[in-house]
Amino acid sequence: MRRTGVFVCHCGINIAGTVDVKKVAAELAKYPGVVYSEDYVYMCSDPGQNLIIQAIKEKKLDTIVVACCSPTLHETTFRNVAKIAGLNPYRCEIANIREQCSWVHREKDKATRKAISITRSIVEKVRRNESLEDVSVPVTKRALVIGGGIAGIQASLDIANAGYEVILVEKSPSIGGHMSQLSETFPTLDCSQCILTPKMVEVAKHPKVKLMTYSEVQEVSGFVGNFKVKILRKPTYVDADKCTLCDECTKVCPIVVPNEFDMGLTGRRAIYIPFPQAVPATYTIDEKACPGMFDTAIACGKCADVCKPGAINFDMKPEIIEVEVGAIIVATGYDLYDKSMMAEYGYGKYPDVLDGLQFERLLSASGPTRGKILRPSDKKEPKEVVFIQCVGSRDPELHWPYCSKICCMYTAKHAMLYKHHVPDGQAYIFYIDIRSGGKNYEEFVHRAVEEDGVLYLRGKVSKVFEDNGKLIVWGADTLTGKQIEIAADMVVLAMAIRPSKGTDELAKKLKIALDKDGFLAEAHPKLRPVESMTSGIFLAGAAQAPKDIPEAVGQASGAAAKAVAILSQERLFHSPTVARVLKNLCTGCGMCISVCPYEAISLKESKAEVNEILCEGCGTCSASCLRNAIQVKNLTPYHIQEMIKACLGG
Amino acid sequence: MVNLEQLKEEAKKILSSGKIKYLIGYENIGASWQVRPAFICRPEDVDRLVWTPACFHNLTRFIHDEKRKRAREKNPDLRPIGLIIKGCDSRSINVLLQEKYLERNEVYLIGVSCELAGVIDETKLRNHLGGLKPEKILFGEKDTIKVIVNNEEREIPAPQILAKRCLECPANYPVIADIILGEKIKRNPTDRYKSISQYEKMSGPERWAFWLEQFSRCLRCYACRSVCPMCYCDECVADSIAFAVTAETTAEEKAQKIRWVERNPEPSENIFFHLVRAIHLAGRCVDCGECERVCPVAIPLRLLNQKMEKEAKELFGYEVGFDASQPPLIACFRDNDPQDFIR
Repeated sequence: MRRTGVFVCHCGINIAGTVDVKKVAAELAKYPGVVYSEDYVYMCSDPGQNLIIQAIKEKKLDTIVVACCSPTLHETTFRNVAKIAGLNPYRCEIANIREQCSWVHREKDKATRKAISITRSIVEKVRRNESLEDVSVPVTKRALVIGGGIAGIQASLDIANAGYEVILVEKSPSIGGHMSQLSETFPTLDCSQCILTPKMVEVAKHPKVKLMTYSEVQEVSGFVGNFKVKILRKPTYVDADKCTLCDECTKVCPIVVPNEFDMGLTGRRAIYIPFPQAVPATYTIDEKACPGMFDTAIACGKCADVCKPGAINFDMKPEIIEVEVGAIIVATGYDLYDKSMMAEYGYGKYPDVLDGLQFERLLSASGPTRGKILRPSDKKEPKEVVFIQCVGSRDPELHWPYCSKICCMYTAKHAMLYKHHVPDGQAYIFYIDIRSGGKNYEEFVHRAVEEDGVLYLRGKVSKVFEDNGKLIVWGADTLTGKQIEIAADMVVLAMAIRPSKGTDELAKKLKIALDKDGFLAEAHPKLRPVESMTSGIFLAGAAQAPKDIPEAVGQASGAAAKAVAILSQERLFHSPTVARVLKNLCTGCGMCISVCPYEAISLKESKAEVNEILCEGCGTCSASCLRNAIQVKNLTPYHIQEMIKACLGG
Repeated sequence: MVNLEQLKEEAKKILSSGKIKYLIGYENIGASWQVRPAFICRPEDVDRLVWTPACFHNLTRFIHDEKRKRAREKNPDLRPIGLIIKGCDSRSINVLLQEKYLERNEVYLIGVSCELAGVIDETKLRNHLGGLKPEKILFGEKDTIKVIVNNEEREIPAPQILAKRCLECPANYPVIADIILGEKIKRNPTDRYKSISQYEKMSGPERWAFWLEQFSRCLRCYACRSVCPMCYCDECVADSIAFAVTAETTAEEKAQKIRWVERNPEPSENIFFHLVRAIHLAGRCVDCGECERVCPVAIPLRLLNQKMEKEAKELFGYEVGFDASQPPLIACFRDNDPQDFIR
């Protein structure tokens, strides 16, 4: 028989208020094999911990049970205590009598009985525990950052400046992300590109950063500290080293397609540079647009003919590059919800109904109108502009239930900048609420109203339609209760923020979860906001939730710090409570392999085999095995049976 | 119609070639109409083989015995074993392949088509004959069954005396085999889940009461388990005595063996046994119906199994035993899974 000690925590009145802790300790003292039982007001406090250490030594305890809060909170604390006192940490178990008992019950009698049952069952469990040693693995001291927007750039710089190598992967031909498309930024109205481009240059020139643009993550395997990633580098068909940026090629290219950078407001050639400050500064041939690529019958090659340095290489092939990294930061950003989803605002068919990013391009000095606000349809200056907030956001019935967070601020900025460009024009903003929580944000909105005379109308717009060259906006002002009709020249929709296209597929490759709206899910909404559920993978920027630039940058630095915490380790330790195969029962059916979310199981000589580093001990394999041939250490069916017996026996 | 002579010829050919260890088929018990599994090792014995509507047995079940024997032997004969299989049996072969219990080259399969018939239901036949004893039962033309009673031949339309499982069968033609005898005829579609349609109308408490009553009769003879092509585990949750122990099994492991179900036929233990069995067959049972046929106390086990089969089809679009390359039901996960069953 083992010598078990039981330590019952009051947790102030969190437990003691509903559970008679003295009685629990007294009842457990009578339980066979329990040689010491004690209660204390805060077991996790220093005196509480010392009490345990002392008891282990004096009473020669070989197993301990701490009846307290959830093991997610203090299991590590008390296992360390056991270790200090000379026990194997896995000889310590937590009986959760707070979350699973005191917090969910009112009647003291019954709650006390339940707490006794729970504690007894854990006593039975801990007695059957094996002494286990942590598994450890070396760390690859290199990080992968996916997404080259402001969040990805910031994270890369922070990690690189800490002295570790970074691979920055960007899907499009240039880094910069959506921030490079913006005109001026709230609340200071400084030029977006002016503050962004130095960072783009810094990250590209950083000796520790390997920039991989026009590349996509194709496959991810491995685990924290030891990821193996296959990156697909798409061919640009232009040798960046030879290209002198003379721009002769775009002059001769006969193909025009919508320009993504200008949100389709202008066209670009099949060979193009996304924007003048693009990093890396080079041209790319869009294989989907170039007739020489998809149709071999047409031999165009005009760009190659005019290219004096001979930078154009039609034989460039996609490359798969395999890299090993220790930590991954996902900063894949956002896209705007598609205008074509909004039936009431014309399905995106009216040329003068723009989304927020298109309006940014109109405002931008590098935009299609060189910073003049002109209607896309007739190039005239709009005198009445209606801005509509929450388009597709805060609409659980038809679109998305969440608040896109940044629209209140950028719409205020849009209206303000519009007034700066067209002082005699009128800006109207339809809003539900104005959410301006942020440093100097509220003042910014006031400035729009008071200094620039932006007209805020509280209500929703029911319909926008074209009539005689005007956009008729039907809305309601819920503060006056009046119906409003505005004959506008331009309408700007603050479309909902969505995770960028392909986020779901990437999440699958990384085996990280999405939340109900499709954003990357964080491990804990409050305490682990930059970590994914998979250890070693961190989140930054709008891929996790809509956020503005300062927040994205802040989260990126947070994620970088988390990544550096891993990269700076010599070895990583892994919990040894992993699955184990009972070879004589395993028939090699492979069901555990297909259900394992961590790809930790493989077949070896027709029997399942567990990779202890990949295994997270979730027990899915154990649940799926018809033969009980795969079990999680220290939580086998035998443990569970004995725990059930102990519960029922009370 | 399957030509018996051709069947014997094929059997002789493969046995003579020495490519298989032995062939399992069907033979008559003495001079009666009744049939039992026949183990044929020599080509000259193929004349024992028969193919009649009384060939109930799912012979794939004998693979388990062969596999266990091989595991025990020092120098086992590793040649494949030959099996005569019906459509339903062939589906169980697919499941065994899916679960990697079996390699395709471990068996040589002679498939036989049930065409428009199948196997008979003995009770239905007895009722049909009004107490007269049949002497021979044979396949008739098309969908008839020939029964010889008092030296007189009677043609009975098959649907009148076919087993329910055959009337609801989706695979009258083997889905996997090395050679297949008989025609591939599409059977008129009937209600595949007819047996459970009445049962599904019962309310939850009614069903529970129904099963309590049924399970109370169970003797725990384990005939259902013994006859099942899917029950091949070395250790069974229903066995509180026989554990799979090898030389490597440690004393600690032995001590940790769990007695989930006691062997005595108490109602609570019976319920536990049957429910565990039903769940363990989810997405694996091919509805060969053997468990129900062999049950000495007539527990309608097909109701449980067919319900599982139907749920798998309706909830996950999963059909058991038609494709050995698809992953097992509980090992597949689709992102667009409707998860209706949780709501």
